[in-house]
Amino acid sequence: MELSRRNFLKSGVAAATAMAVGIPISRVASAAAAETEQDWRWDKGVCRFCGVGCGIMIATQDGKIVATKGDPDAPVNRGLNCVKGYFNGKILYGKDRLTQPLMRMTDGRFDKKGKFTPVTWDQAFDEMAIQFKKAYEEKGPTGIGVIGSGQWLIQEGYAMTKLMKAGFRSNNIDPNARNCMASAVAAFMQVFGIDEPPGNYDDIEYTDTVVAWGANMAEAHPVLWQRVIDRRLGHSDMKIVNITTLRNMTSEGSDLEIIIKPNTDMALLNYLAREIIQRDAVNQAFVDAHCVFCAGPTDIGYGMRATDKFAFEAEKDIQAREVEVTLTRDEAIGIGLDPEQVHTIKQANAATADRHWLVGFEDFKAGVAPYTLDFVAELAKGDSEESLDAFKAKLVRLADLYADPKRKLVSFWTMGFNQHVRGTWVNEQIYSVHLLLGKIAEPGNSPFSLTGQPSACGTAREVGTFSHRLPADMVVNIAKHRDITEQTWKLPPKTLNPKPGSHITKIMRDLEDGSMSWVWVQVNNPFQHVANANHWLKAARENDNFIVVSDAYPSISAKVADLILPVAMIFEKWGGYGNAERRTQLWREQVPPPGEARSDLWQILEFSKRITLAEVWKEQPIPGLKDEGFEEGKLPDVMAAAQEMGYTPEMTLYEALFETPENKAFAWPDPVAKGHDNHTVKHLGVDWFVEKALFEEYAAFGRGHHHDLAPFDVYYQDDVRGLRWPVIDGKETPWRFNAKYDPYVKNGEIEFYGGAMKELVTGNLNGPTTEEKTKFPGKAKIFFRPYAAPVESPDGNYDLWLCTGRLLEHWHTGTMTRRVPELHRAMPAAVLDMNEKDAEARGLKRQDTVWIESRRGKIKAVIETTGRNRPPRGYSFMAFFDESVFVNKLCIDATCPISKEEDFKKTAIKIYKV
Amino acid sequence: MNLSGILVVVPPAQVEDATLALNALPGVEVHHAEPATGRIVVVQEAETVDEEVAALSRIKALPGVMLAEMVYHVFDEILPEWDAIPAEMAAS
Repeated sequence: MELSRRNFLKSGVAAATAMAVGIPISRVASAAAAETEQDWRWDKGVCRFCGVGCGIMIATQDGKIVATKGDPDAPVNRGLNCVKGYFNGKILYGKDRLTQPLMRMTDGRFDKKGKFTPVTWDQAFDEMAIQFKKAYEEKGPTGIGVIGSGQWLIQEGYAMTKLMKAGFRSNNIDPNARNCMASAVAAFMQVFGIDEPPGNYDDIEYTDTVVAWGANMAEAHPVLWQRVIDRRLGHSDMKIVNITTLRNMTSEGSDLEIIIKPNTDMALLNYLAREIIQRDAVNQAFVDAHCVFCAGPTDIGYGMRATDKFAFEAEKDIQAREVEVTLTRDEAIGIGLDPEQVHTIKQANAATADRHWLVGFEDFKAGVAPYTLDFVAELAKGDSEESLDAFKAKLVRLADLYADPKRKLVSFWTMGFNQHVRGTWVNEQIYSVHLLLGKIAEPGNSPFSLTGQPSACGTAREVGTFSHRLPADMVVNIAKHRDITEQTWKLPPKTLNPKPGSHITKIMRDLEDGSMSWVWVQVNNPFQHVANANHWLKAARENDNFIVVSDAYPSISAKVADLILPVAMIFEKWGGYGNAERRTQLWREQVPPPGEARSDLWQILEFSKRITLAEVWKEQPIPGLKDEGFEEGKLPDVMAAAQEMGYTPEMTLYEALFETPENKAFAWPDPVAKGHDNHTVKHLGVDWFVEKALFEEYAAFGRGHHHDLAPFDVYYQDDVRGLRWPVIDGKETPWRFNAKYDPYVKNGEIEFYGGAMKELVTGNLNGPTTEEKTKFPGKAKIFFRPYAAPVESPDGNYDLWLCTGRLLEHWHTGTMTRRVPELHRAMPAAVLDMNEKDAEARGLKRQDTVWIESRRGKIKAVIETTGRNRPPRGYSFMAFFDESVFVNKLCIDATCPISKEEDFKKTAIKIYKV
Repeated sequence: MNLSGILVVVPPAQVEDATLALNALPGVEVHHAEPATGRIVVVQEAETVDEEVAALSRIKALPGVMLAEMVYHVFDEILPEWDAIPAEMAAS
């Protein structure tokens, strides 16, 4: 490149950067920026990566992305980007981008043991349909499944949900978001009766305190972390607390670092609740007016299989705890039992873990009574080199911050809470603390669940792509919700299946035990990200299963697939995401996808053309179905009723579900496109605007039902940077449940109006004592949940904790960020961060290559003792981005029994030199 | 070749020192500084993504740096290489 052009370009980059973040620059400099950009087309977009939802601007020229920048008008990031933002323009152009369908074949025919061979789209869909029909005819709707994503576009998740639930009558659809924030979802539903946070990111600028619980924000959510740090610079009273199991980047910016043992967050939260009561800091007026108290069973297991039939020999001792467990001394104390006696408990409520009932304040008070400073400090102290007195002083300081009535406080959490064998409980406990104090639903006071994926909220949760959900917080096992959905979708009554399907871990187990044999994976990499991977890799390759993977790159999941479908990536298609603060953001297609790659939406619609109503709307077997109004184990034939509605048996699912007269009314081309293309519409060969039609069809579920989205076109206005739902009369809702900001509040200043589970029986901590149900509309629940030990802890053999998580430069399984080869060389392999003294004690030193072994497998990795994560003794950490190290081969597939989210944070390992 | 515009924030009193230190890094040029707020705009030039990310880490490690994040990126002369079947897939 010529020197002068480069210098010129640099001046332009500098000026554009300064303008993006609001630094005044000279007229000459701004002219340089304008000239650099003169031939580019700029448009707004959303970052492809985490759940923060930063706005970015994208410049294209000649069908390529030539530049990206933080969007100065985006309220989330205000011009700033983190390093992941940089990858938005890069990920489209990896060297090994998949550009045509690939199928395992031998001699021109599909062969499970064959080699990947390029095929046409028709060949791909034809084989996919043959295999689908084989599994579906043999096993019925439960024999097929879809693993979807919190990175699905809103329209993609909606189309697949409709195809699966209305078309195939199968609830075996579950997103990878299950393993990201299902615990947060379960707690939102149980506590508030409606999903997603009351507050938003603006709470940062109103608060005096930020407490990060199991959230390494500096590394995982750097743009929000920057807003936290900025707040401290401008607000002298601001305090930041990092509650963590190891020293990390977030500790650097914190005033108080509290290092705890795994699972003791639960004890710590009960200590806080106890202190709030002891100090007379309960906001009594708030609690009386807006809260009830609740408890639930404790014998709920760990979400594992109750049989060890499929377990490796070494796994069997832990697996047995799914049936029966002996309480630890601390667990006994925590539920008020005599610690000197042995307490063996049958896991009687494993299948009914979400059951709960009303209790009184005195019951709650008695529940938290054992959680004294002495008990909790001894139990929770995570760094053996810290003195007990120093640790106690920190806990008292933390209680001071929470209990101070004048201090506004935001609690942030992510995977430390969510990926937890008691993930739902610990989410509920943080709400209990905030509710006792009345520190909620107003600027600066906010318990806030951060999310890891860009549309975990917008798609997985709001659209309802979980195995038990329907759009707008509805669920399949409530008849009224099915009725509403059947009416909206114009389905014959009893088309929808009332029995919740398999969650993501269960889909893997189903593939292993043969109850499912056809799976379609979209926008995620489950064979890398689901724990205990050795089982599932074998099930994919050795069993008679047909695995379809839609992917942009050869991920591990693509490699174990039978058929790979190449996909269009983020800015190669029209779409929308919803971030963690309820902000819905939509963008236009910016550049064409390469080669034969096509959007996931196009793939869903094309596949739906290959299945007719006669094949799916006949009588279907559903093992275990026992719902009222249904014959046991069966879905009825609804074809006769369908014909009365004008459907015919020969009609395809595409015609019945997608190309409806209502949808065809949305014409393409549309002025909102402003000259941008739409490859999905083009390749479908239609003249209706698929993405707009599906968005509007979906939005109808939420409008008037607490989930109002704005009209499609509004999100594309130049002055709109996403809107936080509910959007009512064109206005977004920054704080929910608060009459000042939320038009849905009809009674009083605060109303927790979510409608789910607001009628319960009453009892005490041991169980219900009445059968009569009490209604408590408008109230939130304060749960008592006791401390529970992890299902697996280090012992004499597996003598070290292993926690997994993510790093700034890579994201999740690294399918996209690892694509850039130079970056891969820079951090070629995930390392095992461990304490130097633990290494020494094993005769190891930094940079040694070691075997890491758990009950489930072993992997090789390099150890690091001076990295940016500094574990205390007895604890180690590894990122999960790296498929060559593949840490999920080690992790236990135990889940929270309520949310079914896996606990990737607590596996016992041993290490030894290679 | 990649060009990034990076926002660096230091305490206002350290703007001068930080400017010197930033300019001494390979491929880094300070273009704008705002002494009142401690905000500095630098342009990072790097041949590869690896160098670019490493350079950002070096900037973050400088004394006094409270924030260094990429704001603007220009991807110059991208050569898409998506037409070949990847060797690892073809061979499997």
